[in-house]
Amino acid sequence: MEVITILLPLALLLGGFFILAFVWSAKKGQYDDLETPRFRMLLDDQKITKKSPTSIKDGK
Amino acid sequence: MQTCTHCDEIAVQALYSEIDLEKTQPFCCQGCLTVFHVLHQKGLDSYYEIKKNAAVYKRRSPVELTSSQFNYLEDVDFLAEYSYVNLNQEWTMEFYLEGIHCLACLWLIEKIPEFVEGVKTSKLDLERSVVTVTLKNNGKFSRVAQELTHLGYRPHPLKKNQDAANFRIKEERSALIRIGVAGAAAGNIMIYAVSLYGGATPEFAQLFNLLTVLFAIPVLTYSAFPFYQTAWNAIKNRTLSIDIPISIALIIGAFMGIHNLIVGVPENYFDSLTALVFLLLLSRYFLQKIQEKGLSASDLHFFYQSESVLVSVDDARDSFKEIHPRFIKVNDSLKIRPGEFIPADGIVLRGCSNLNNSLLTGESYPIKVEAGDHVFNGTQNIDHELIIKAEKVHHDTRLGGILKNIENGWAHRSKIVDLASKVSKYFTAAVFVLATILFFYLNAIGSTEHALEQAITLLIVTCPCALALAIPLTFTRALSKASEHGIIIKSDEVIEKLAKVENIFLDKTGTITFGKLQVTDLKELKGTAINLADIIFNLEKNSHHPVAKALMEHFKSQRPRAYEVLNHKEIFGKGVSGMIDGHYYEINKVGVFENDQLVATFSVQDIVRPDSISALASLRSQGLTVKVLSGDNAAVVEAMAKLIGMKSDHALFELSPEQKSQMIESTPHTMMVGDGANDAIALSYADVGVAVFGAMDISLRAADVYLTTPGLVPVEKLVTLSKETMKVIRRNLVLSLIYNSLSVTAAFLGLIDPLVAAIIMPVSSLTVLFSTLIGTKKLRHLWKS
Repeated sequence: MEVITILLPLALLLGGFFILAFVWSAKKGQYDDLETPRFRMLLDDQKITKKSPTSIKDGK
Repeated sequence: MQTCTHCDEIAVQALYSEIDLEKTQPFCCQGCLTVFHVLHQKGLDSYYEIKKNAAVYKRRSPVELTSSQFNYLEDVDFLAEYSYVNLNQEWTMEFYLEGIHCLACLWLIEKIPEFVEGVKTSKLDLERSVVTVTLKNNGKFSRVAQELTHLGYRPHPLKKNQDAANFRIKEERSALIRIGVAGAAAGNIMIYAVSLYGGATPEFAQLFNLLTVLFAIPVLTYSAFPFYQTAWNAIKNRTLSIDIPISIALIIGAFMGIHNLIVGVPENYFDSLTALVFLLLLSRYFLQKIQEKGLSASDLHFFYQSESVLVSVDDARDSFKEIHPRFIKVNDSLKIRPGEFIPADGIVLRGCSNLNNSLLTGESYPIKVEAGDHVFNGTQNIDHELIIKAEKVHHDTRLGGILKNIENGWAHRSKIVDLASKVSKYFTAAVFVLATILFFYLNAIGSTEHALEQAITLLIVTCPCALALAIPLTFTRALSKASEHGIIIKSDEVIEKLAKVENIFLDKTGTITFGKLQVTDLKELKGTAINLADIIFNLEKNSHHPVAKALMEHFKSQRPRAYEVLNHKEIFGKGVSGMIDGHYYEINKVGVFENDQLVATFSVQDIVRPDSISALASLRSQGLTVKVLSGDNAAVVEAMAKLIGMKSDHALFELSPEQKSQMIESTPHTMMVGDGANDAIALSYADVGVAVFGAMDISLRAADVYLTTPGLVPVEKLVTLSKETMKVIRRNLVLSLIYNSLSVTAAFLGLIDPLVAAIIMPVSSLTVLFSTLIGTKKLRHLWKS
């Protein structure tokens, strides 16, 4: 049972680390909007390529 | 049928871009086509690629071109009220966007910093359709708003009480942290509790016990703080709350656990208590989340009227500047364009036009006004430009008066004591009596120490956890299911009130009827040179008049062709005329004329929704009294009452907003269903106010429930939902009382210990959870449909 002297502090440290990580992320506002991010991750992060658009007369 | 590439509406006369030579991308109107060109010029064509594959999030309508320059966004007064500096010290403003509809909109909006100069970030909240824009030093909000308009959205600046908003965000974040800490600690405690129950050797038992106490401390102090707070407030105000028995159990449990640790007895209730705190916080968080969702959905409509308005700077030279309606002053000359809402009470200086009064008074036909006539805030200008002088603004207008009355109505309402609190009163008393009896009983037959220990145990294990958990869960489920059916309920209290409703009052226009004119009877008397549909479509297509709109709608499905109209005239209050293909056509009240010969007659009416009749019958069959309160005239209301099979003394007409609210005040257990400003006071005076689809912002504010789908069917669903939900709540109440009686019995028999408590608590919580999930037969039926 001596192994508990290592395992117990290890478990506590791990648990403590995750609690702190959670508190940090909550305080940073990562859980403020739970709806949009799931859509946002679908979009590619490419810059707009300003290809010379076909000229058009103003639609009005 | 072709659908518009941009807005997905049916394109009756499809337009194509000049760059789209194969004509593969149809557009329904010039507005949508213009946006397509703008996107193409900016190199944002990917918008349509993304849109093609994305699920539609919200429906939207075709783009309407506006000429607004948003100059008012740069006014110092305006900026002071509407913009703010965010937590990162950036200049920020929020806009509600009309027209947000899918993933592609998200992409487009968040690309703004790349093609609009001076914008630092632009973040869209899809659910609320709100974009938050922050600027660099050289940025301008008016520029952003113009660009948004070019992209086909309609931006409405949002006024934000920044302190309140920041406070709310902080509250929400700390609620999450409380839940997280409670969950993590409860999980860890369980590990050590199982070791203790499994029979840990004494040297470990004391260590594990110490660890459970250490983990429990943050939960019982930090996480459980909201319970203590509500309990304390309830005691201070001499009101009831279910948090009182919960707090008692938590505090006594904490002292007992620490005491046992000091005397070296490895026994405490922290595993059950921390899990309880975690589950309770979680269930309340869900309930709060879903209520906020309902609230923000209705909040957002409040500024709908706050489109910019043109105010005269120099009357002689006819020059106008754009301001926000918030800043209109008495004696300002305002230019009201067709389609716009009148933002103040005033008098017409120049021009004549038809006004739509239906939202303010309930009248279904337009009213003609000309110079010298009075006009009121909240009415819509239909067909011609008007110049009005503002006489009363903001709170002094008739609409403002209604708003004040609504506030009175709210104050007037009785606060109900919710069921849980009512029960908790008897509950707490009973538990204390039982604990005292147990103490004296055990004291008489055994040691005082043992008696005290057992009495305390009783107080801990009878904590009404199942009940406290079941109620928020049931309400959360009811509110979320309601919103799936397009019914947004502002709070859980409404459901309790709804279940008691006996009298339902309905508004006529827009509630029982469609709220807009429709062609009911069309007779073609003679053949015409070109199709009747083509005549009507080409003559009426630019008119804003309700009759013209009704005719257009009627002929839309026949896909009319476009013709050139010569000498096109709209004669005010009479009709329209013009030359098509060498023939002279005229449309007026009597009918359609070709070369002065009557060729067709039609009549228009605000007709009753077909589903109203069955919905009303179903409401009556549930034993509810249904009456109609209308501001419209006797003939119209009586005809409608006949049609829907209502007794004529139940259909009341020509009522002013005040009379409506008096009717409601003098009747107990009422529900009011309506849409216009004329219903708003009545909505706020009724026990439950329901604003129907298309309702005006003012009635949304007054209402407790908002329907996002038209018609009366949701009202019927709402009544069923609330009655059945209260049944589930009562069932959960009985179930949790049974479990509590079991633990009391066990305590009297001396059978209770932490292990028994650790079994009873999750089992009882699971039972009520299960009971909530299966609902009742009627609820299951409602959920499925």
